[in-house]
Amino acid sequence: MMKENDKKVGVYICYCGGNISDHVDVEAVRNRVEKMPGVAVAKTNMFMCSDPGQELIIDDLKSGKIDRVVVASCAPSLHETTFRGAIERAGANPFIYEHANIREQVSWVHHGDPATDKATVLISAAAAKARKLKPLEPIRVDAKKHAVVIGGGIAGIKSALEIARNGIEVAIIEKTGSLGGNLNNLGRLAPSGENASDILQEILGKVKAAPSITIHTGCEVTDVQGYVGNFTLDVKGRTDSFKIDTGAIVMATGSVSYQPFEGEFGFGTYPQVITLPTLIEALKQSKYQTETGWFEFGGKPVRNIAMIHCVGSRQIPGIHEPRENGQLNEYCSRTCCSAVLNAANQIKERFAKTRVVDMYRDIRTYGRGQEALYDRASANKVVFMRYEADAMPTVEKSSTPDFPLTVKIKDGLTFNEEMDVPADLVVLATGIEPSDVSGLASAMKLPVGTDRFLLEVHPKLRPVEFPVAGVFLAGTCQAPMDAGEACNAAGAAAAKTCALLSKGVIELDPFVAEVNPDKCQGHGNCVDACIKEGALKLVDVQRGGKTVTQAQVTAAMCLGCGACAAVCPEKAIDLNGWALEQYEDMVDAIVAA
Amino acid sequence: MSTIDLNFEEELKTFCENTALACFNCGTCTAVCPLVNDNFPRKMIRYIQVGAKDAILENANELYKCLHCGLCTHTCPRQADPGEIILGLKRFVVANWRRS
Ligand SMILES: Cc1cc2nc3c(=O)[nH]c(=O)nc-3n(C[C@H](O)[C@H](O)[C@H](O)COP(=O)(O)OP(=O)(O)OC[C@H]3O[C@@H](n4cnc5c(N)ncnc54)[C@H](O)[C@@H]3O)c2cc1C
Ligand code: SF4
Ligand code: SF4
Ligand code: SF4
Ligand code: SF4
Repeated sequence: MMKENDKKVGVYICYCGGNISDHVDVEAVRNRVEKMPGVAVAKTNMFMCSDPGQELIIDDLKSGKIDRVVVASCAPSLHETTFRGAIERAGANPFIYEHANIREQVSWVHHGDPATDKATVLISAAAAKARKLKPLEPIRVDAKKHAVVIGGGIAGIKSALEIARNGIEVAIIEKTGSLGGNLNNLGRLAPSGENASDILQEILGKVKAAPSITIHTGCEVTDVQGYVGNFTLDVKGRTDSFKIDTGAIVMATGSVSYQPFEGEFGFGTYPQVITLPTLIEALKQSKYQTETGWFEFGGKPVRNIAMIHCVGSRQIPGIHEPRENGQLNEYCSRTCCSAVLNAANQIKERFAKTRVVDMYRDIRTYGRGQEALYDRASANKVVFMRYEADAMPTVEKSSTPDFPLTVKIKDGLTFNEEMDVPADLVVLATGIEPSDVSGLASAMKLPVGTDRFLLEVHPKLRPVEFPVAGVFLAGTCQAPMDAGEACNAAGAAAAKTCALLSKGVIELDPFVAEVNPDKCQGHGNCVDACIKEGALKLVDVQRGGKTVTQAQVTAAMCLGCGACAAVCPEKAIDLNGWALEQYEDMVDAIVAA
Repeated sequence: MSTIDLNFEEELKTFCENTALACFNCGTCTAVCPLVNDNFPRKMIRYIQVGAKDAILENANELYKCLHCGLCTHTCPRQADPGEIILGLKRFVVANWRRS
């Protein structure tokens, strides 16, 4: 084997059509880099990602001029795979590649000489690291062509249907006795006006007709073992417990409606104060019209309804009372504005005599078709009032016999005058809170946000994935969203699941820990430091006729975090592709440059 | 402090087209009104929406400053017709003046 010092590094520096070269003197960088130890060739190109750019690398590899590659260009998230692909096409191992980002980290943020100098430094470090890159093989694991969806609301059902349609078996695990989630509690849905029960009937019919979907209602997952492609779930039913082996998991555990505390806007104190779900249920149960022309609640005609927005949402520290657990819901629940206006419209259109006063902090009818609900409410003569978070309306017993309740509000639309609104019924537009899945999240090491919703890897770039490979999320377990948005997310999570499992094997990046058996003394410091259960353990092995204890990595589970490498007193465990030695060389190169 | 009266808007029907609830309180009419008066004419429209009858009667003199130039009606994005409403309110005030 060649010594590391014999490695021939090719450095390719990109102009990015001016994006880089307008601020970095690319030719000057090339001249400096060329003289660095180990650098065999240094070239520049207008667009390294173009075919001629990639050809430079391929030709130099094929002719034997170089055996390690550094490209200095845009962020690796854009073209790292492009250049690894070029190396593969030249017949070499794609992991002899190192990337230097001189666009986002240099030309877009620095100008003139400092930009040129910083580009030089980053490239020197990359070249120094490249000299110690080893060829690596991707980790290949067999994957079971089976997925488990946890939670059988519309998001769970929709993802199960899409996964099954692609020939992969699915099991839905639902905690309650039936599928459908919160849609079971809703009537006509905002913004389209479709009946929730019609939508459920349609998709549940499809689930029944899909032989590859198994439904486990009344069941909960108690533990999850294994890794991407090979998970084992412990499931507890009402009477029995069983295990399911699966390749991927979709979290679709949804949300619950906010329950106001005793006395919040008179809730629990006055029977005429109800939540939005209670109103929706009453509208579902009510005759389409009444003889009196008034909406009736609890058998009594309702002349005036006051609706209060943002109950249990958009809470502000210092203004709102936290729950016993210290929790404040600082987020907007996103569905209540449309749902409350939708209910107001149904009331006004079915029971013309009933008057509706809508008290909002803001109207957030953000989506397609939702603003039309607001316009319709205006046309329906709903009276709007606006309150500020620090001057919330209060609900009191009325001082006159005409109405049971008075809502007192400092109305921003009436020049902040104090108004008394007499009401027969007060509806609290209660928001959404995530279902409590803290147990499952900690068993699977899934990140949870400070708002208690499950947290994706990246809200824009990887919106339905967890950092744990093979686990996805969809629907309101992630954030407040309406049923349409939950279905979008479900489709995306299903597509990700299918792409992962369809080949039956999964290739994982080889940047994981590796134990040097010549050095490992079995201290086990690494095992204590490892943050991923099952990634690292101590095992007895035979060495030189003796039984010794050594650390062993399960490559498919290792996160490549390096916590183990940092604590090993023997320097016996290290990370492939990111070895300690490489960091040392990078630091030396930075100091020298 | 006033108690809102959601029937007032109906009551006004005999004096003018009841377009007041079409108003979404944007304030455009106030911005274009040459009178440059505190929230006029939106204030009057708003008082109709919440049924603040007394407030309208107490501030009735403001109504008589209106030039009926029609700018407000012309620019209102909701076709709430504020100019016509001001005219209607004058009729209402005349009908109710010192009645009680
Ligand atoms: C008052 C109100 C009004 C609304 N109005 C509208 C509207 O008009 N239009 C609209 O589009 N949207 C509306 N929504 C939003 C809509 O309800 C949601 O977008 C939709 O229900 C989200 O579906 P989901 O599958 O993500 O979650 P959910 O419907 O909450 O389903 C989650 C499922 O997972 C199950 N589950 C939870 N934890 C576990 C566990 N540990 N193991 C197994 N199963 C579990 C639950 O039992 C449930 O069946 C409204 C919401 C509320 C609260
Ligand atoms: S959707 Fe509307 S009512 Fe719900 S929290 Fe957001 S602003 Fe408040
Ligand atoms: S790199 Fe991280 S996850 Fe992998 S074995 Fe070491 S400590 Fe565990
Ligand atoms: S019609 Fe009257 S209220 Fe309207 S803009 Fe002219 S002066 Fe102002
Ligand atoms: S311009 Fe029209 S909508 Fe705007 S405040 Fe005046 S009357 Fe209302």
